[in-house]
Amino acid sequence: MTDIEETHFETGDSGASATFPMQCSALRKNGFVMLKARPCKIVEMSTSKTGKHGHAKVHLVGIDIFSGKKYEDICPSTHNMDVPHVKREDYQLTDISDDGYLCLMADNGDLREDLKIPDGDVGVQLRNEYDSGKDILCTVLKSCGEEVVIAVKTNTALDK
Amino acid sequence: MSEEIIRQLESAANIMTAPPNVVTDEQRRSAETVFLDFRKSKLPYGLCRQILEVSQVHYVLFEAAEVLKSALIREWSCLQESDIISLRQYLIQYVSHRNDLPFFVQERILQVIAIMVKRGSVEDFGLERTSILNEVENLIINGDHTKKIMGCNLILNLMQEYASTIKSTDVGLPWEIHFKAKKQFEATDLRKIFKFCIQLLSNIIKNESMDNNTVKLMEQLLIITAGVLTWVVLYLNDSILPKRLIGVYESVYEADQSPSLRLGANWKEIMLAPQLIPLVFEIYWKVREYELLLHQVLTCLVQLASLNGGVMNRDEVRMEYLSSYIENFLKILRMINSNFKEKEVLGLSNIVKKLQLFFGQDFLKIPQNVQELYLNDITHITCCFAEGAKLEEAQSLDDKFYSEAFDNLLEAWTGIFQECASGSDNILFQSATRIFNTYLQCHLAPPDGSRIQEKECEEIEDNEDNDRIKYKDQLQIIGVFGRIVPSHCLPILFRLLEDRSNKLKSHFQTMQNYTMTLNDSKTLDNLFEDIHWIILIAGHVLCMDCEGETPMIPSEIMQYSIQQCNKMECNLETTLKVLASVREVVFEIDCIEQCDHAVRIFSDVLKLCVLESSAGHAKLGHFMSPEVGCTLMWFLKRWCMSYLLPTENFYQEISPTLIGALGGDTDGATFVINFILGKIQSNICQFNSEPILLQDTVDLFADIVCVKQKSMYIVKTEGLWNLVNLQTELMAGLLPQNIRRGLYKGFVLAGASLTDLEAMNEYYRRILKPVQTRFKELVCQENFNRIYQEENVKTEVIDILECFVGISKGAQMSTAQTIFEYVVPILSELPVFLNLYKNYQLIVQLILELFGQCAHSKRLYETSLATVQMYARCNTNRLTTEVFSEESNFQDLLLVLEFLTLILSKECFDLCPHSPTEEVTVTAADVSLFGLNFVLPLIKIELLMYPSLCSQYYKLIVLINDLYPDKISNLPDDMLKQLLQSVELGLTAGFGTDVLQACLDFIQALATHIYRKSLNNSKVYHAVMPFLKLLMNLTLSHEISSDMMTSASVCIYILICCYVEQYQMIVEGLINLQSDPLIAERLATAFNQLTNNVQLNCERQPKLKFRDNFDKFIANVHGFLLVK
Repeated sequence: MTDIEETHFETGDSGASATFPMQCSALRKNGFVMLKARPCKIVEMSTSKTGKHGHAKVHLVGIDIFSGKKYEDICPSTHNMDVPHVKREDYQLTDISDDGYLCLMADNGDLREDLKIPDGDVGVQLRNEYDSGKDILCTVLKSCGEEVVIAVKTNTALDK
Repeated sequence: MSEEIIRQLESAANIMTAPPNVVTDEQRRSAETVFLDFRKSKLPYGLCRQILEVSQVHYVLFEAAEVLKSALIREWSCLQESDIISLRQYLIQYVSHRNDLPFFVQERILQVIAIMVKRGSVEDFGLERTSILNEVENLIINGDHTKKIMGCNLILNLMQEYASTIKSTDVGLPWEIHFKAKKQFEATDLRKIFKFCIQLLSNIIKNESMDNNTVKLMEQLLIITAGVLTWVVLYLNDSILPKRLIGVYESVYEADQSPSLRLGANWKEIMLAPQLIPLVFEIYWKVREYELLLHQVLTCLVQLASLNGGVMNRDEVRMEYLSSYIENFLKILRMINSNFKEKEVLGLSNIVKKLQLFFGQDFLKIPQNVQELYLNDITHITCCFAEGAKLEEAQSLDDKFYSEAFDNLLEAWTGIFQECASGSDNILFQSATRIFNTYLQCHLAPPDGSRIQEKECEEIEDNEDNDRIKYKDQLQIIGVFGRIVPSHCLPILFRLLEDRSNKLKSHFQTMQNYTMTLNDSKTLDNLFEDIHWIILIAGHVLCMDCEGETPMIPSEIMQYSIQQCNKMECNLETTLKVLASVREVVFEIDCIEQCDHAVRIFSDVLKLCVLESSAGHAKLGHFMSPEVGCTLMWFLKRWCMSYLLPTENFYQEISPTLIGALGGDTDGATFVINFILGKIQSNICQFNSEPILLQDTVDLFADIVCVKQKSMYIVKTEGLWNLVNLQTELMAGLLPQNIRRGLYKGFVLAGASLTDLEAMNEYYRRILKPVQTRFKELVCQENFNRIYQEENVKTEVIDILECFVGISKGAQMSTAQTIFEYVVPILSELPVFLNLYKNYQLIVQLILELFGQCAHSKRLYETSLATVQMYARCNTNRLTTEVFSEESNFQDLLLVLEFLTLILSKECFDLCPHSPTEEVTVTAADVSLFGLNFVLPLIKIELLMYPSLCSQYYKLIVLINDLYPDKISNLPDDMLKQLLQSVELGLTAGFGTDVLQACLDFIQALATHIYRKSLNNSKVYHAVMPFLKLLMNLTLSHEISSDMMTSASVCIYILICCYVEQYQMIVEGLINLQSDPLIAERLATAFNQLTNNVQLNCERQPKLKFRDNFDKFIANVHGFLLVK
C-alpha cells in the first residue's frame, strides 16, 4: 500500500516524470533545477575550470521554490542535471474554511479545497483582504508533487 | 573658572579614551557633549593657551588645538593683528620646547601655525612667512634632533596648506584667494625651501655617517624635496579661470601619481646647477638600503627626469641637462650591476619612461656612443624585468614590482621606436630581437623556454581575465617589436608552432590506442600552453589592434611579404598549395619553404583547427583544451579581419601573394570562408558544453559578417547555409544562453551586404521565415492554452524569443524594414504572451528584452504600451512568499526602464517609415510617461538601493523632463507628487553623485520651464517650491559635497528666479534664527552680497555671476553659521 502511494507521489501529472534531464551548460539563470533533490530556482550561475586548460564546470546556486532554502552544486558542464516540471496557476479565492483551507476556483470553473492558507505576511494579507471583501487572485505553485499558494494579488478595477 | 573647565575636559577625555567595557554609553555621550560645547567656544585663545600650559592629558591638548583652528578660521577678521602675532609666536615656542608632545598633538598645532601663516600671508604678501621660514631653517640647522624634525614637519604643514586651492575651502577663504596665495608662495618660498633642503642634504652626505638620527632627518628632508618636485605648479595667468577648470586641472594632476616637473625660468639657477643631478644620484646610492628613503629619492629622480617648461628654454641647456642625467643614470646602473632591489625597479623604469616622454627628441642628438650604451643598458634591464615579472606571475604575488616596471619599459620602447622609425638602426633591431626573444622564452616551456610550471589544478573562475585581456598592452608592444624584425620573428613563430602542433598530433595518435597517464597529461598541458602563447604572440605580430578603425595588414608585414616575393623566396602557387592542404594536417610539405610566411602561420593555425575537430570526431574532444580553442577562434577573427579579402585601394603597395591567395573573387578566399564557417559549425556541435569557447566562436562569426566587403562573399557560400540549416535542426534549449541569438544576429548582419533588394528579400525570407513559422505553429495549436505550461512548450518559446532578440539586434538602417515584416507579427502577440507566462520570469524578461531591442518604430508604440501595462497589471498589489522576489523585481524593472529610456532616445531615429496619411496617435513621450505611470508604484525604495536600477530610473526621468517638460508639468496630481518625492529622495538618500547630479538637472530644467512659461500658481509651481528650501538647507549644512556645490548653486539660482518671495522669507527666517546679533548681521551681509547686482531672469550671465557669488558665500558663511 505504501509503495503505491509513494509511486503516486513521485510522478506528476498523468503519470509523467516529475523531472526531465538537461545538459548542465544549457541551464539558465532564473530557470529551474533540482539541487539536493529539491526543486530550485537558479539565482546564480557561473562557470569555472580546473586548471588553465581544463574543461568548464558549472557552479549553481539555487533557492528552493517552496522553502526558500539556498542550495549549491557544482557539476561538469557536459553532465545532465534534473530539471523539475514547474507549474504556476492562478485561482480565484471564493472562500476560506474554518480550519484554514482555501476554496479556489480555476479559470474553467473547477473548485478545489485542498490548499491551506500560506504562512507569514502573505497569509495575513490574504485573510485581511478577504475579510474586507476584496477580490483575490492566488498563484499556486506546483512541482514535484508539492503544491502551495505562493502569491496573492488583489484584483483592482484595472484588471477586469 | 578656567581650572574648572580644564578639570571637566580632562575627566571627559578620560571617559572618551577609556575601553568600552569601563564606561556606560550614557557617560560617553555626556563626555562627547562636553567636547562639542568646547568646540563652539567663542574667543577661546586665552583658555586654550592655559590648557596647553597646564593639562597633561593628550586628548585635551589635541582638542585645544582643534578649537584654536576652528576659532581662528571663524573669527580671523575680528582679531587684532598683535593678538595673532603673539599667539603664533607662542605656539611656535610651545612646540619647539615641548619635546614630550605626542606626534598627533604636535601635528595639529603645526597645522594651526601653518593656517595662521597662510592667512597672514594673504595680507602681507608673505613677508612674515619668509622670516618665519628663516627661523625654522635656523632651527633645523642648529637645533637638536627633535627640533630639526619638528622644523621639517612645520615646513611640510605649510606646504600642505598652500598645495591645493580647491580642497582648502575649509580655511574660510574663497578659492581666488587660495589661488593667489598659492601662486605667491610658489614664486618665493617654495624655491627657498628646495634650495635649503638640497644644501642640507649635500652637507649630510659629505660629512656624516648614517646613524639613526641622520636617517630620520634625511627622510624628512627627502619628503620635502619630493614634495617640491611633485608640486602642482599652476601655469596660469593672473586672469582668473573658472573654479571648475582649476579644480579639474588640480584633480587630474593629483590622479596622475607623478605630474611632470614643469618649472618656469626663475628656477634655472637651482635646477640647472651642475652639481644637482650628481648629488641626487649620490644620495640614491647612499640610501639604497633604507626602503623609505629609497622611495623618496626615487620620486625625486623620476621627477627630475621629467623637467620641462620655461626652465629649459634653450636646446643647449636641455642637452647639457640630459647628458648629465644619462651619464649619472648609466653609472648607477653599472653600480647596481643587475642586482636590483624589488623596491627600486619601478622607480628605475619610471625614469626611463619619463626621459623618453620628455626628452625623446633629444636622444637623437646625444653622441652615438652614449646613445648605444643607453639603448644597450635599457635593453638589458627590460630583459631582466621580463624575467622578474615571470617569477612574480608564477608565484602569483600580490605586489607586482617587476611586472609593472616591465610594462613601463615597454611603454618607453614604443616611444623609442617611434622616434627612430625612419632610421634603420642596427642597434634598434638588436634590441627588438633581444626583447622579443626573451619574452617568447619566458612563455615557452623548457628546454626552448624558461616558463615556470603553474600550480597544478588550480580552480579558475571564468570571470577572471584571460591572457589576451590581462596581457593586452604587453602583447601589443611585443607585436610592434616583432614587426620591426619580421624576418627574425615570423620564421621562429612558424617553426615553433609547427613543432608543437606535430607533437600534439602524434600525442593524439598514441592516445587513440593507449590510455593516458598522469605524466602524459602534464606534457599535454605544457604543449597547450606553448601553443596558446605562440598563437597569442603571432596574432599580435601579424595584426594590429584596431578598435574603431578598419583593420589593415600592417605595412611592415606587407613590405616583408613583397620582399620575399621579389627575392623569389616565396610564390603564390606554393602558398595556395599549402593553404589547400591544411585539412591533411601535414607539417612537412616539400615546397613549404616557398610559402608566404604570414600565410604559413595562418595555415598552421587552420591545421590546429582541423586537429581539434578531428579529436572531437574521434571522441577525444575532452582531451583538447578549451582555452586553446578560444585562442584559435580569437586568432582567426583577428587574422580574417585584416588579411581575408583585403580592400586593395587601401594600400599603396600590395603583396601579390597575399592578394592572390586571399583577395576578392579568389578560390583561396572562398576556401578560407568555407573552412572557417565549417569550424564554427563543428565547434557548436562538438563543444556546446564550453560556454566561453562558444562565445568566442560566435564572436568570430559576428565580427567577420559585420564587414560588408567580407559578408558580400560570405552570403554566397555554402558554409553559411550549412550553418543556417544547422540552426533549424538543433533542438531548442541545447545551446547556452546568448549563442542562439549571437548566431541569428550574425545571419541578419550578413544580409546587409546584399545591395539588390530582391536578393535581400529572398535572403531574409530563407533565414527568418522558418523562425516565424515555428512561432505560428506553436501558437496556433488548438490546445495551446492548455499545454503552454508544459516544459517542451516553454523551452520552445524561450528559444524562439532568443532567436528574435538576436534578429532584432542584427537589424540595421538598410535592413530594418524588411526584417520588421517578420518581427512585427510576433511582437503584437507578446502582450497576451506576457499575461500567459507572467509567472515565469525567464520568459517575462525575454519579452521585455525583445521590446528593448525593437522599440525603434512608432508602429510598435501601442504594442509596447500594452506590454508595459500588462506587466504592471500582473505585478501591482502582488505579494509573494518567494525569498527571491525582490531580486526578480529588480531585474524585471531594470529591463522595463531601459526599454522606456530607449523609446525616448530613439524617437528622432525611426527605422520604420510610415505613410504620410497614417496618423501618429501616440508619441514616444506618451509611451514613456504612460509606462512610467504604471511602473512608478512598483519602484520601492528598497529597489532603488540597486545601483543600476537607481541610475537607470533617474536617467529616465531626467530624459523625459528634458525633452517634454510640458508633459511633466501637466501630470496628474498624485503622479507628479510621486515623481517629485523620488527626486527628493535622490537628493537626500545618498545614492551617489551621479544620481544627485541627475536630480539637480531635473529640478533645474523643470524650474526653468516654470519660469519661462510663467506657470505661476499652477500646480507644478507649488509642487516644486519646497525644493528651494531643501536645497538651501542641504548646501548650507554641507550635506551636498563641495564638488557638487556648483551644480547645486545654479539650481538654487533658477529656483530663486521662480520663487523670489519665498526666498526672501527663507533668508529672513535664517537670519532671525541666529541668537548672536553679530552673526545675524554677518549673515545678513552675506545674503546681501549673494544676490547683489544679480538679475533674477534665468539668463546665463546672471546665473554665472550668482554661481561665483554663491561660492564665496558658502566659504564665508560656513565658518560662522551652524545650521542643523
